[in-house]
Amino acid sequence: MDRAGLRPQFEDLLYREAWLLDHDRLEEWLDLLSDNIHYWAPVRADMNRGKEDLTAPLRLAFFDDNKDGLRLRVARIRTGAAHADEPPSRVRHLITNVQVMEARDADTVKAASNFMVFKSRRNREENLFVGCREDTWRREGGAWKLEERMILLDHNVIENITVLF
Amino acid sequence: MGNQSKLIEPKNLPESLIDLERKTVSPRVFSDPEVHQMEQERIFTRCWLYVAHESQLPNPGDFVAGFMGEEPVIVCRGPDRQIHVFLNTCRHRGMLVCRVEEGNAKFFRCPYHGWTYDLEGKLTGVPDYRKAYHGDLEREQWPLLQAPKVSSYHGLIFACLDEHAVTLDEYLGDFRWYLDLQFNRTESGMMTLPGTHKWTLKANWKFAAEQFGGDNYHTMWAHESGVRTSIAQQFGGEHPWTNDWEAKTKEGHGWINFAFADPPGIAEVVGPYTAWLREQARNRLTPTQIEQIGCVHVGTVFPNFSILSFLGFLSVRVWNPRGPTRLDAWSWGMVERDAPPQMVKLARDIQIRTFSPAGIFEQDDGEMWSYCTEASGGAYRRRFPLNYQMGAGHERADADRPGLIHPPPTEIGVFGFWERWRRQMAGQKADKERP
Repeated sequence: MDRAGLRPQFEDLLYREAWLLDHDRLEEWLDLLSDNIHYWAPVRADMNRGKEDLTAPLRLAFFDDNKDGLRLRVARIRTGAAHADEPPSRVRHLITNVQVMEARDADTVKAASNFMVFKSRRNREENLFVGCREDTWRREGGAWKLEERMILLDHNVIENITVLF
Repeated sequence: MGNQSKLIEPKNLPESLIDLERKTVSPRVFSDPEVHQMEQERIFTRCWLYVAHESQLPNPGDFVAGFMGEEPVIVCRGPDRQIHVFLNTCRHRGMLVCRVEEGNAKFFRCPYHGWTYDLEGKLTGVPDYRKAYHGDLEREQWPLLQAPKVSSYHGLIFACLDEHAVTLDEYLGDFRWYLDLQFNRTESGMMTLPGTHKWTLKANWKFAAEQFGGDNYHTMWAHESGVRTSIAQQFGGEHPWTNDWEAKTKEGHGWINFAFADPPGIAEVVGPYTAWLREQARNRLTPTQIEQIGCVHVGTVFPNFSILSFLGFLSVRVWNPRGPTRLDAWSWGMVERDAPPQMVKLARDIQIRTFSPAGIFEQDDGEMWSYCTEASGGAYRRRFPLNYQMGAGHERADADRPGLIHPPPTEIGVFGFWERWRRQMAGQKADKERP
């Protein structure tokens, strides 16, 4: 497959996904995810160069969710009592540096992207979450579904995470 | 008793902030820079503080770098297998001598001018020692500073910067009974999972410490969204005094204990695990302790070490101040070394989902502690105390459990934290003064 040729299609997909997250359309966002999704964000650490082992077995993570776990997060927001996000934060996902890394076949694509997620909350509470994502998208029944997402946050000590990436 | 608006007299500061009779606390304790400065002297250089778990340092040269309060430290296993806790600051200009969080070292070398220390802290390398210092520098006078007291309790390593402090056993005191039922269940003991949850809040550290030391009252409110969607059960109340109770010990440490029904899908793993733990603990714990295995456990060892366990996961954590209104939380995951692999995986996953910086429970605590700090710090608000009266006078001594206990919700443990804080800030030897 032509990796560069696929890029506009995946830019559209990732922008659409970000739009759903920014507009509180979380149920539609869930629909973009495969039922087999693995949604994962390892913790970071200051280590000697090359020694940070993000894939060490059982390493703690900020997220390590399957579809049920993500559904639970959305259901929790919908209770209206998720106090860390009530009243709702103003959130903006800026997605850049989209690359199609590998198109294994016509139905499986690995795509990478960078993000800056700005969160404004209450009066002056402002957070910026920065990082990259490595995704595997699979075509299911004619639609692309997110099957795997590794979120690499560029933060060591992090602020309260109430957003999805 | 006072919540005076006048400027604080350091002499009677602690007494003016905590009203022992009325069970109130001045909001000043959560935001005042003078209080914060005094805490650094009277609490963080005098109390035993948790620094690491022995399983993080299996081999000579293994180290982890963290903090005792606001001071950076290195916890290192020396060639003789002794654990040293060094202040992470060069004796020459004060630069960090270690800038990574963990690893294995043969020495610690300051990146600024190259002063080098061995794994016992001795200054062994000084660039240009002969040419620049003319050989006059007394190197043996300038080792890395190190905590004069370091000790372990069931693998939990604590350090204390006060050479005159009581022993760790005395410091933990009656609370050892509670730590035992979490940390002394099996022959092999516990181990720390890789990675650390590290997060920061615009909050005073004591909002976190006091809550873990005895606030079960908040659970159904602050965590309403998580409870309704993921747990769907009451927190404590159906087994008062037997499984549902809170405790405070005379040292100011607090414990929350309550029964918890394992949810379907999880019970299949946790149920047999709990039965196995009870069997393992049979010759290690009392029947009353064994009866608590499988319950939710939450506790704080004064001042800033807390634990949290349910459904087989265990978070151990420290709440480190960064000024009066900033808190850095570091939390580790711990599991029994001999736990079955599916239990270890489950414990890790539940900890991540519930009590991590993105956890569906932890997020809400962060919100509460941050805005408690902000909203109670004003000049007018600070004249009016905060209420810690719940359950006062209704706690009981118990034949099987040390300290005083009462079923949840109660604030006996939370106010126990403040009684100890007041003694500690007054400079009294808190551990020995009371029966």
